[in-house]
Amino acid sequence: MLIRLEDIRRYYTVGEEEVHALDGVSIAIEKGEWTSIIGQSGSGKSTLMNVLGCLDTPTSGRYILNGQDVSGMSDNALADIRNREIGFIFQTFQLLPRETAQANVELPLVYRGLRARERHERATAALEKVGLANRVHHRPNELSGGQRQRVAIARALVTEPSLLLADEPTGNLDSATGEEIIRLFEQLHSAGHTLVLVTHEPAIAARCPRAVRLMDGKVVSDGPGAQVALESRAERARAAAAAVAP
Amino acid sequence: MKGLSGLFDNVRLAFGTLWANPLRSLLTLLGVVIGVATVVSMMALIEGLRLKVTRDLGQLGANTFTVSKWPGGVNFGRIDWRRFQRRPAFHLSDVQLIRQSCPAVKTASGQTGFGLFKVASDRAETSPNVFAMGATSEWLETTGILGIAEGRFYSPSEVEEERKVVVLGTEVAAQLFPGESPLGQTVRIGGKVLRVIGVLSKRGKFLGLFNMDNIVVLPLTTAMDAYGKDHSLRINVVAQGPELVQRAQDEVTAVLRRRRDVAPGAPNNFEIDTNESVTRTFNNLSRVIAAGGAGICLLSLIVGGIGILNIMLVSVTERTREIGIRKALGAKRGRILGQFAIEAVTLSFVGGIIGLVLGFGIAFLARWAFGFPTVVPPWAVVLALAMSSGVGLVFGIYPAARAARLDPVEAMRME
Repeated sequence: MLIRLEDIRRYYTVGEEEVHALDGVSIAIEKGEWTSIIGQSGSGKSTLMNVLGCLDTPTSGRYILNGQDVSGMSDNALADIRNREIGFIFQTFQLLPRETAQANVELPLVYRGLRARERHERATAALEKVGLANRVHHRPNELSGGQRQRVAIARALVTEPSLLLADEPTGNLDSATGEEIIRLFEQLHSAGHTLVLVTHEPAIAARCPRAVRLMDGKVVSDGPGAQVALESRAERARAAAAAVAP
Repeated sequence: MKGLSGLFDNVRLAFGTLWANPLRSLLTLLGVVIGVATVVSMMALIEGLRLKVTRDLGQLGANTFTVSKWPGGVNFGRIDWRRFQRRPAFHLSDVQLIRQSCPAVKTASGQTGFGLFKVASDRAETSPNVFAMGATSEWLETTGILGIAEGRFYSPSEVEEERKVVVLGTEVAAQLFPGESPLGQTVRIGGKVLRVIGVLSKRGKFLGLFNMDNIVVLPLTTAMDAYGKDHSLRINVVAQGPELVQRAQDEVTAVLRRRRDVAPGAPNNFEIDTNESVTRTFNNLSRVIAAGGAGICLLSLIVGGIGILNIMLVSVTERTREIGIRKALGAKRGRILGQFAIEAVTLSFVGGIIGLVLGFGIAFLARWAFGFPTVVPPWAVVLALAMSSGVGLVFGIYPAARAARLDPVEAMRME
């Protein structure tokens, strides 16, 4: 078991009102699984992604990641967990614009305290893995969207994390490039990586072996990706019909 | 090792940021640059002056001290000159008394100045800025400043007989008798006609201020007869040896107290100054100037520091997203704090270096423009760099702490 969420709640106070972004979420994810988290905006999937990524701490509940209870950890301890256990892939890539692809990929290793030489070797290998061996000295603005996302994936892989966490990774890409990235994920999954992919697109969820659907901060279905994607589509259609009904 | 490589990474990052906005960085640094340049150039001037004073006074001779009713050296603050004015004057007889009754005294001379005069020969005349002084014949021996370049100094008998002779400073001689020997020629000083018997060797400016080559020296008696008798003498005393200076001072003090009827327990009504005491006075003065300058410099550094504070706050705001990314990838608070603090320190350190170069430049220019010796003491360099870095640290820590506290999720959302 890599991830175990037990009754995770995350409440915010916005003005006078308490928002229940996550309202008792319990999920378990095995090592090597590829899971998508699907839901419409406001469903709580981004909050869940932040909790899973140790970027946010739950208001209550337990989060066990790779055998460690991370729910009550300090900021610095969480930074360490992020660095060692999690590889992030963001919708907007989140690369440092002034640094080269190589330097961007090396960044998590800098915070791990590795020496320059080892960082260099590992970053080069990670960039080769995502097919960017010939782009190592380019800055993000000299790369296409797909290439930028590959740099971000290389950066996520370089620390050999136990969990790859992708937040709408194809959201800023055209469909062909998006398809390339999804194929890259398929390869990573076959290679044994554990992947959690947050998306609002049923088509992408359908490609994943498992999908968890969220609505109003609660898990409403958890099953094979294709099936959950179908439910999600049906739900959307109902919502759209309700919206236009007289 | 981990800490060191982290530091190295942060310094590299800091230079990268500096380089990315060169104009902005430079403008931010201006306050620090001015502060450091002020400190360095001022210290260079004071130190140079101090060295020169020490050297000039050193040439007075190690065994000498002076006795006068006026306080010697450099004076500052409020001084009640009337108190000194009321003291009894020193006369030629006092000089003779010291010479005769103090065994530790090798010799003593009396001297006094009569103010600035115009000196004229048959063909030329000087500006009315030549310092005329009267002295006894032992003067050369007791001051140790001057030698004779040409001719001779007057003898004791010439003093006794009030002979109308004069010894010229080199500049006076060169002005009045260009290309010929002044010896045996006559000059007029304040209506008196005097025969030139010697020319002093070139000496330059004493303490960088008083031009020792633009003087004329007359037998004391002759000068008093011509320009006024009511002058109190300054007595230059030479001890028998360096180890006897203190004893000579004690003897002179005892003799003069008796002579001037100073009651037992009452303070002396005269001053004894050694080179050391003059140097000490000057050092006190330079410390006061340095402290004043340090205040000005501190103000300028604070202004510079506020500039750094401002630019670092802007930098943190501009780079909020970058901070978010770094934190998401595992940067701990301390690491972000270090990154921005080191950036501020690097910024102000670079300002310190520029200020240092500028300060050296000003010191060099001052030397060239005023003919003034300037020496930048090594401690001033260390102090300037330490202060500038310190300013960066003090004013950079708050923006850095703000950066370190940012929430990664919120920060990454920033555009």
